[in-house]
Formats: sequence, structure tokens, C-alpha cells
Amino acid sequence: MINRKITILGPEGTNLYILLQFMIFSVISWFTLFSSIESIEFETSNILTRQIVFSLVGLIVFFLTTYLSIENLYNLINALFLLSISVLIGLLFTTPILGVRRWYDLEPVGLPIFIQPSEFSKIVLVLFIAKILSQKSNKLIAISGVLINLFLIFIQPDFGTTMLLLIVTSLMFFVSDIKLRIAVSGLLVFFLSFFILLEFNLLGDYQISRITDFFSGEDFSQRQSRLSISSGGLFGIYFSESQISEVFVPVQTTDFIFSLFSRNFGFFGGLLLTSLWIVFFFRVNRIIKRTEIVFEKYLLSGLLILLGAQIFINLFTILGFIPLTGIPFPLLSLGGSSIFSTAIIFGLINRVFIENNIVV
Amino acid sequence: MFNQKRLEFTFIAFFILLAFVLTDIFQLQTREFESTSQIIDQQNLDKFYIPAPRGEIFDANGEKIAETKLEPHLYINMRKITNQNASDYRQIIQYNFPELTTKEINEIFESKDILHFVANLSSVEYEVRNNLLKNYDVFIIIDIPIRKYIKNELFSHTVGYLGIPNQDEFNKFQNALGNNLVGKNGLERYYEEYLSGIPGELIFLGSKIVDSKQPIPGEDLFLSIDSLTQTVTKESLQQGLDLANKSFESQNEIKKGASVVLDIETGNIVSMVSLPDFDPNKFVSGISDFEYKQLDRDQAFNNFAIQGLYPPGSVFKVVAYWLALSENIFPEGLSNKDSKFDCEGSLSFGFDDGSQQVYNDWKFEGHGKVDLTDAIKQSCNVYFWDIALNIWRNFGNTDGESILQEYSKELGFSEKTNVDLPFEKVGIIPDRDLFEEWKISRPGLVREEGWLGGDLMNLIIGQGAITTTPLQVANAYRTLLTGENQSPTLNINAEKITNNKINVSDEFISFLLKDLNTVTNKGGTAYVSFSILGNKANDIGGKTGTAQNAGDKNNTSWFVGVDSISNPKYIIVTVVDEGGSGSAVAAPVSRRIIQHLLEYALTPVEFGEITE
Repeated sequence: MINRKITILGPEGTNLYILLQFMIFSVISWFTLFSSIESIEFETSNILTRQIVFSLVGLIVFFLTTYLSIENLYNLINALFLLSISVLIGLLFTTPILGVRRWYDLEPVGLPIFIQPSEFSKIVLVLFIAKILSQKSNKLIAISGVLINLFLIFIQPDFGTTMLLLIVTSLMFFVSDIKLRIAVSGLLVFFLSFFILLEFNLLGDYQISRITDFFSGEDFSQRQSRLSISSGGLFGIYFSESQISEVFVPVQTTDFIFSLFSRNFGFFGGLLLTSLWIVFFFRVNRIIKRTEIVFEKYLLSGLLILLGAQIFINLFTILGFIPLTGIPFPLLSLGGSSIFSTAIIFGLINRVFIENNIVV
Repeated sequence: MFNQKRLEFTFIAFFILLAFVLTDIFQLQTREFESTSQIIDQQNLDKFYIPAPRGEIFDANGEKIAETKLEPHLYINMRKITNQNASDYRQIIQYNFPELTTKEINEIFESKDILHFVANLSSVEYEVRNNLLKNYDVFIIIDIPIRKYIKNELFSHTVGYLGIPNQDEFNKFQNALGNNLVGKNGLERYYEEYLSGIPGELIFLGSKIVDSKQPIPGEDLFLSIDSLTQTVTKESLQQGLDLANKSFESQNEIKKGASVVLDIETGNIVSMVSLPDFDPNKFVSGISDFEYKQLDRDQAFNNFAIQGLYPPGSVFKVVAYWLALSENIFPEGLSNKDSKFDCEGSLSFGFDDGSQQVYNDWKFEGHGKVDLTDAIKQSCNVYFWDIALNIWRNFGNTDGESILQEYSKELGFSEKTNVDLPFEKVGIIPDRDLFEEWKISRPGLVREEGWLGGDLMNLIIGQGAITTTPLQVANAYRTLLTGENQSPTLNINAEKITNNKINVSDEFISFLLKDLNTVTNKGGTAYVSFSILGNKANDIGGKTGTAQNAGDKNNTSWFVGVDSISNPKYIIVTVVDEGGSGSAVAAPVSRRIIQHLLEYALTPVEFGEITE
């Protein structure tokens, strides 16, 4: 074992770059939400207060995740995967909220929040696939586990997350040197089954209306979000005096927050935000090249693919390229589950950095 | 095996996608920037509010007092009505809802609303509903909450009622606009923000609904009032009013009164009745102008328990009782509460200015030898007048002359009790300053000389300019028995406000209870009213009050009761406006309420004895 005495922050040390990146993204989110609130009052119903609390708790989650060594994590993966599957099955027995079974309501135990298990199960899925791929054993049983996981999310129904995980799974297998022939035929089977389910009307009305609305080319929220982005101009309205009328965008602080961000900080704001993410990807990719442990390579690639896929699905949605998906923008969107899960991702990446003795 | 090349290929693909996204955003923010601002300015989004279900109200036993029922309402989307299709839809509505008058249908089609109400569908068959929705896309069904007051009149003053908000209420309550109903009085008013819930929204772009927000229901309210006690209280008070009408020859019908039961330990209100009352349900479906005026003329909307201002008469004597024992001020020549004094039925005395006055007690022949206990028991005025004279002679025209007023205020008189009901009145405790003020603001009401010893003598027996509410009196007695002047409340989860704390020793409390006990027993003013209880009255206490009114108005009848001397749990205050002697009318009303509280068999309210 490598001797790790570097403890700048946290018991096992922390990579300052990863920590800084997490905090910068959080602060950008606060500034974005700040523009949409009317008053600064410290109360649980205030979205800015909520987000700040979520970010700070996220920071704790980040450090807690850093405690877990990759070796221990590796040994825990099967158990975590079973837990994740059970929690997803448990959702089937909850009362639907807005027509879907996607959240656990924590109100009865005194917390005014909803937990969305799929936010966490997607990380577990990445861990699970990374483990399968780094082993030489038969992959068939493991792959059926992945399919069950996808199916459970699909029947919530959660079309967006299913698409996301489908993409992440495919890409992770893609980087594993799998024969392209198999990868393509696998994808075909996925899409075929999706349309069969659609044909047999197995999707809820809510999903159908989202999809049909899109194909009829008039989804209101997407049109509004394009207007909102457009109204930001090159520099955004945050620092300018010009008063361009407000655009109404449904759920603008959660899924559509990038439209609010663009309105406030304009094209250059968007450029800055995406550049920060590009730098992040480069940085992590360097470790993927450097580490000797195959599992770590798969894990980091999987987490990057997960983050990248989320960002693209979110951007494509708010620009109206694809139907509404409900995938939040990591660390920018309002919402505890999304922030905590991203904090775990950052924590895991941080841990790999530490184990490779990269601190700054 | 892990393929680094394929991973980097993936990242390059990401990069290309990003370039593609940024190009689109760049286009939007540069080339389309101008046209966007135009589109935004032209865009007309309209909001239609869906009222939120109001929180429900429950009594102490979890019985529902006010409920909210969601009923399906049919609305018509006016944005989809054109000159061409209007007559078709008119026919469809006429056919399906024959009960609608032509005028009502005209109103629909002349309306400028986005959605206009057509009919409540709760009693319409499902088929009809379904047909309308399926075949015509102009119709939309929205669940609208309907308030129902299950106990009708019983809680009209405590629970209150709803109404269409006025401008002030729109400003004051942010959910009033969307709900289009607001608590006008009672708990509905006091807890408006808590009960109201957050209205939902339908966002319209033209005729199309582009977004919607579900209404969030309000919070439920749980009361300390017990429906059964409330019912008994109301019955008893009504019997008292009937009795007064039968017994006195009054010009006007006697129909006003109030009765309050207060839990001594918690300060919770167990029942609160004000008569006359009204059915708050009538406000839900719309009250007729005639009916409203009738109720208004009877002052049915007043909650006399907190808004009725009456001179308290002898029930106020406990203030002097407390003062006498605390300050050791007794009638001239007496040194303690047990020394006796000879009441000859009148008191003549002189003032510094040389004037001579004679005050006559209600009992012409006098009460004979009385100490403080007897003075309370028999409600001897002369004893208390003598205390007032003593205060006047010792402190008159000095800083200490308002000592009685200060003691009154400590018990909460002329102050808000801070009950969780709106529009509470505070009444008056007169003093020199007030009289000076009145000389200017209300000339003719007070003498040129201003505040005199006679005014203090009036005040000490609860007469003259003093006014109090029944709840103030109940709370003052509770303060004397607990040492804490605290806000009485109806909501069991309300935060109690401590208005004031006083020093009362256990010895004082037991003296007071013992002396209140003599009132309902042999020789006491309320003895006759309580004699029906036999031995059971031995543990009950109280104080009668009969306050004179200006003009030819009959006396105000008061009784303050304590259910038990050994284990006091409740204070029961009853006021009958123009009910005459307290011992004759208010006392038997309270007696019947006490019978219920102690779980004895109820007997009708019967005329007691005229004293005072």
C-alpha cells in the first residue's frame, strides 16, 4: 500500500482541484438562483436557502465519500447493487406523485424533501459495470442485472434516466474493447424493445404526452427556454442595466436552469461554464491514463461518461433537440438528490486521485 | 481490456456535440436576439387560479367542525369561443343544464374571463360529464374546494366565516387573490394564512394551457373547544335569555349574551358562545341582503364574549379583594380581612371640598356585621366603597391614587387578552387622565371637576365608566388563581403569550376560593340558583354581578363560576345583556354549564333570587 500522509483536508487528504471545482459549480448555481428569487429570507421554502443547504450538505457527502478506500468500495459493490435494486423495487409500492413512482417522500419522518433513488442507483450501476468489465469472468449474469436495473427505472416511468443509463452502459462497454458488432446489435435490441413497449401502450399517459407533444413540435417549455436563452445575448442580463422582459419557463430552477443561467450570463457565461467542465474532463482523463489499476480506469471513465451524458441530455432537452427528459444539470440545477449524487461522484474521483498521490 | 483510444474518441465526440450546442446557443443569443425580445413582449401569458382546499377544523375530540370538500366544477374556455361557434355551445349548455336561466347563460357568453364557470357537476351523472369533456374541447373540469360548517350556528363566532376578499385583504393575504375567498371573522380570519393553502395555477398562452401548478392544501386546525360543552353552553344561555324575557317587562326582546368556559390549568377555551348567532354556511352559498340586514340589526355578527363591552358590576370586586389583601387596605378602622365592619345599608361621607354624599347599598336594611369574606359572599357594596374612600383619602391626587386601576390592568382589564380571534375589544378602566382626555374629546360625558372620589367608588364595584369583555373577566379570575396572565386560546397548538405575571400566594388563592365558595352556599347571593344541586354545591364557587346601565336599559346580569373549590378546573363566565340581577339569571345559566362539566344530570335554567 502506498503511504498516504497527505492530509490537507479530510482524513485521507483531498485533491484541492476537485474540491475547488465542486465549490465553483455550487457558487455559480447560487448566483443563478439568486436572480430568480424575490426576497432573501432564511426559510426552508426559499429556493436559494435550500440550494445553499444542499450544497453544504453535499460538501459533507463529498468528504464522507473520500473516507472509503477504492479497495473497500470494490468489495462493497455487489451489496450496493443489490441494495439499489431493492430500493428501486420498493418504489413500486409508494403512492405516485404527479403520476410517477420516482420519489420517496421524507415528510413523514420530518424532513421536507423528496429522495429520488435513481439519482444514486445510477452511480451504483456505473460501479457495477466497472467491476464487471475489470473482471475476466462470465459477464452474462452481470449483464442481466444491469438490464433489470434499467427496467425498474423504465417502469417508474422515467424515460430520461433510462435513456441516460442506456447511453452510459453502452459507452462503458464501448471503451472496454468489446467487439463493435456486439455493441451495435445490443443497442438495436434496446431501441426495439423501447418501441415495442410504446406500441403496447405500456408507458404512462404522462410520458406519452411528453413524447407526442415533442413530435407535434410544440412543446411550450422548450420553446420558452429557447426564448430565455436567447434573451441573454452575449453578456447576459445579470450585470447589465437593460431590462428585457421576463420569460416564463416552467420548472426553470430545476431541469431548465441552464436557460436561466444563459439569460443571466449570456453566451460568455455558457462558454465559461462549459470550459470549466472541459478542464475537469482533461484533468480526470490524465489520471485514467496514469493509474495502473483497471477498475479505477473503468470507474473514472464511467463517472465522466455519466456526468457528460447528463450534461448533454440536459442541454439537448432545454434546446428542444430531444423530448423532455427530466435530467438535471449536475451541480447547477436546484435539487438535493442531484447535488448529493454529484457530490458522491466527485468524492469517488477525489479518492482515486488521492490513492494515486495527486493532491493538487 | 480497457481501451484508452476509444475513451478519448468518446471525449472527442463529446467535444463535437458541445461545439454543436454552443453554436446553436450563439445563434440564439446573437442573430435571434432582436426578434426574441419582440416575441417576449408580444407574448401574452395569462394565469387562471385554482383555489386551494382550506385546512379543516376539528374540535377537542377530533370531531370535524369545518370541512372542505372538492367538488367538480365545469368551466368553459372563453378563448375558444368565437362568433361562429358561440350559438352551438349555448345550445349545448342549455341542453345539459336546463336549470340555468337565460340570464346566467348570457353572463357566461359575455364574460371576458379565460375560463368561465358553468355548473357544479357534483350531482351530475358521470356520463354527462364524460360526454361533455370528450366531445368538446372548450370544456374543462376543475375540482373546486367547498367549505362546509358541519355544526351550523354552533360555532358561528369562534370559527367565523369566509367571504370575497376586499382590497385590504388582497394586500394583506397573498393567497387571497388565487383563492378568491378569505376568512372574514373568527378563526377563519385569525388563522387565514395557516388555513388558506396555496392556490394552483393554469398558465394560458392564448387558448391553450401551457403549464399548470397543483394547489397546495392548507393546514388543519385543532381546537380545545369541545362540541358537547359548546352545545350545553349555548342551550343554557338560550334558556337564560328566555327566562329573562319571561321574568322582566322589557321594551326590547332580550336576546344578547355570552358565555365562556376557560380551562384554568392550560388557559384553553373549552366553550365560547355568543348570542344571537347565525349560520356561517349561508355565506358560502351567498346570503340574501334581507337576511344579512336582519342579522346585522340584531348584532349577530358580534362575538360578545370578546367584543361585548359591559360594566362588570360586582364580579369586579375581586380586584379590590386582591388589592385589599396585598396592600392591607381595608375600610377605615379595620386592620385585617377578618375584622368586622357594620354595614348599615348606606354610606355617607364628606369630601375635601365640603360636599356631603350618601351612597345606598342594594340591600336597604344593610348587611350587618361584615368582614371581607361576607362582603364577597353578600356582595356588600358599602364595604368596598369604604376601601375606595380609604384609597382616596390616603392617595387622592398623588401618584398612588391609581392603585386600583394598576391592579386592574395587571389582571388584564383594558388590555387585550391576546385570544387567537380577530377584532378583540379591550374596554375601559377609567382614571384621572382618561377623564381629562374625555373633557376635550367627549364633552358632556364627564363632569367639569374631572375625576373625583365618587368615580373611584363606582369603579371599585365595577360601575360607572368601566367596561370589560366576558373573556377578560374569565382571564382575570384565571390570573388570580394561577398567577399568570396568559392569552386564552382556541387552537391547541397556539403559542401562548404571557401578558403579565403577578404574585399570588397559595394562601391567597385558597382564601379567594373559599370566599367564592360562600357565594353559592347558604347566605350567599347565588345560593338559590345553586340549591338544586343540594350537597354537590358545597364544592362550587362563584361571584354574582349586576351592573347598572345608563338610560332605561335593564341591568347586565353577570356570573363568574368555578367548577370546584378543592380541584378547580374551569372558570365559567356568563353575561346576559339586560338580564337583570346576576344571581337571578346569569347564575342559573352557569349552574347548568357546571352541571355538565361535573357530569351531573342537567336541570333547566330556573330563575334564581334577585339580589344586588
